[in-house]
Amino acid sequence: MLKKAGLVLSDGTTIDDLIDLKMNEVSLRVMNDPELHRFEMERIFARTWLLLGHDTEIPKPGDFVVRDMGEDQVIVARSRDGGIHVSLNVCPHRGMKVCTAEAGNTQVHRCIYHGWAFRPDGDFIGAPIEKEQMHGNKRTKSELGLKKARVHLYGGLIFATWNIEGPSFDEFLGDSKFYFDQLFCRTDSGLELLGPPQRFMIPANWKIGSEQSASDGFHTLTLHRSLMEGGVMGGTPESIYDNAPGMYGVDVSCTEGHSLRCLEAAQTFKMFSNVSFEGKTTEERLHLLPPPGITPELIPQLFKNLSPEQVDMLATIPPQVGGMFPNVLVLFIFAPRTDGGSSGALALHTYIPRGPDHFEFVNYIFAEKDAPEQVKRDMLQNSIQQAGTSGIIEQDDADTWPQIMRNTKGPMSRSITLKYQALHGHEKPEGWPGGGLLYPGFTKDDTQWNWWLNYHRLMSAS
Amino acid sequence: MIDRSTAAVDKSGVMRGLTSKNRVPLGSEIYNRILETLYDEAAALDERRFDDWVAMLDKDLVYTAPIRLTRTGPNRDRDVMRTMMHFDDTYESLLMRTGRLSKSAWAEDPPSRTRRYVTNVRVGETENADEYEVVSYLYLARSRGESPDYEKTTGERRDVWRFANGKYKLARREIILDQSTLSMSNLAVFL
Repeated sequence: MLKKAGLVLSDGTTIDDLIDLKMNEVSLRVMNDPELHRFEMERIFARTWLLLGHDTEIPKPGDFVVRDMGEDQVIVARSRDGGIHVSLNVCPHRGMKVCTAEAGNTQVHRCIYHGWAFRPDGDFIGAPIEKEQMHGNKRTKSELGLKKARVHLYGGLIFATWNIEGPSFDEFLGDSKFYFDQLFCRTDSGLELLGPPQRFMIPANWKIGSEQSASDGFHTLTLHRSLMEGGVMGGTPESIYDNAPGMYGVDVSCTEGHSLRCLEAAQTFKMFSNVSFEGKTTEERLHLLPPPGITPELIPQLFKNLSPEQVDMLATIPPQVGGMFPNVLVLFIFAPRTDGGSSGALALHTYIPRGPDHFEFVNYIFAEKDAPEQVKRDMLQNSIQQAGTSGIIEQDDADTWPQIMRNTKGPMSRSITLKYQALHGHEKPEGWPGGGLLYPGFTKDDTQWNWWLNYHRLMSAS
Repeated sequence: MIDRSTAAVDKSGVMRGLTSKNRVPLGSEIYNRILETLYDEAAALDERRFDDWVAMLDKDLVYTAPIRLTRTGPNRDRDVMRTMMHFDDTYESLLMRTGRLSKSAWAEDPPSRTRRYVTNVRVGETENADEYEVVSYLYLARSRGESPDYEKTTGERRDVWRFANGKYKLARREIILDQSTLSMSNLAVFL
């Protein structure tokens, strides 16, 4: 008896054939299937909340950036009243891009093809030669604006969705909000983007990057071995697998597919291993070892903006890496430097689908807005050297993912399944302050499996 | 205060090219020696002789690659953004990068086969008698593993080369790549 599946491909394959819920396996075919890709664009990227940038990118009225919601390009613009608007970058007249720049400032977005003009909020102003009514008389001007997405600002991060009546942003974050707040909503002035994002192409499916962003801690030991060899993490190159630096902590997750790895710095980095927190108050611990991106003068702001439980987590076991479903990677790391300094590196990535076989890697680099200029300068340098285009960590990811992609083509290779069977199971550590699905101890496959469960849920819903 | 907003235009006075008004003529002894140095540098990198390359770098080197951002209208030519970079390195950090390449750097193990074409070299004098401003074009073709497709990139390099002890050493390099979205999936190679 066939189970009723919410998604059936034209060859009869169902989503349950591709994602085996009993065995915790995913068919490699999901990484390269044009038909599935079209469903993903409709059922995930046209439905869920997506990260598009930060409000410090467009501080002035008229400022805009052009970004992507899946394969749909949008204009993210600030209107005269200070509001941020997200509108489809498709002229409703003949389908031309209304905006051909990546960023700029204008009060009028005028399509270069026939001159239809729009305000930063997407409203239609008019077509040239007003007396000739070149927008016709069948539709009112209010019907001829750019298609508008629903916008939400979270810690200055700009999110948007086409699902106008769908879940609120807080519902989308679910139980993970308690943890993400510790990264994005902890200071009075919030984060500042240090410059426009780096952009580069990866010849791989967007999910190859994204499933890793769902807190795949385990790959660090082998793929990022050079971090141990460089001497910044605990252990020596010879003892990497014995000491397993950075593997132990608490992975936090939720049914919405987001996750974060909370790690004790002293257990992870060699340079912090002599820091003893024994008998210290939360405040003393924060001064001994401020969380990534936080300077001593910002510490009082943490108590003001967060609950005591959240501050206590930042002081002992801060969230450092993870991701937000469907395509965001979070990297808020200590980033110890070879010169002994450590002001941290704060970065977010989005993995933008470009057909089933490519994605664009967009790397946003942040600092706290109220951090001293020199700290911002150091953090920018840390981030660029560790992550993104030339980053020594992510160079290795960028070379691995295309090789997985090459393996998605042959009939034998496509039927291989990815294994998510090293599972811990939800377990709430004693006295743990937050909610969600919790996995203490060695980092395992649970958080990534939760990512696939949410993928399965959204893809099954028509 | 630096205006870091994406929408803001980079206010740098010089976007690209040679700034020196005093050209070192093509074919002159200094020009020839600098050209030879650029060829030697490209060969050291293509042949993965990283120690030889590092020996060509001066200790106070600043090595950067700003991003490009497409603009239209009055600011259409101000498309270099120095608030964000693809490389933001010093002598020490480049030493860290080359050191990594001798260990477990899977991004270059197996190594890429690369070919650096350095052309359109223009040289100018600077305020310091022993330093020269050198602008060159770079075409980098990179072959990874068994893939028959080249990864490639193009750009302009704005260098300062310093003459000391009979050799030219690199003191400043700004690489202005031509792509806003890089087609190369990482910059595990030097430009």
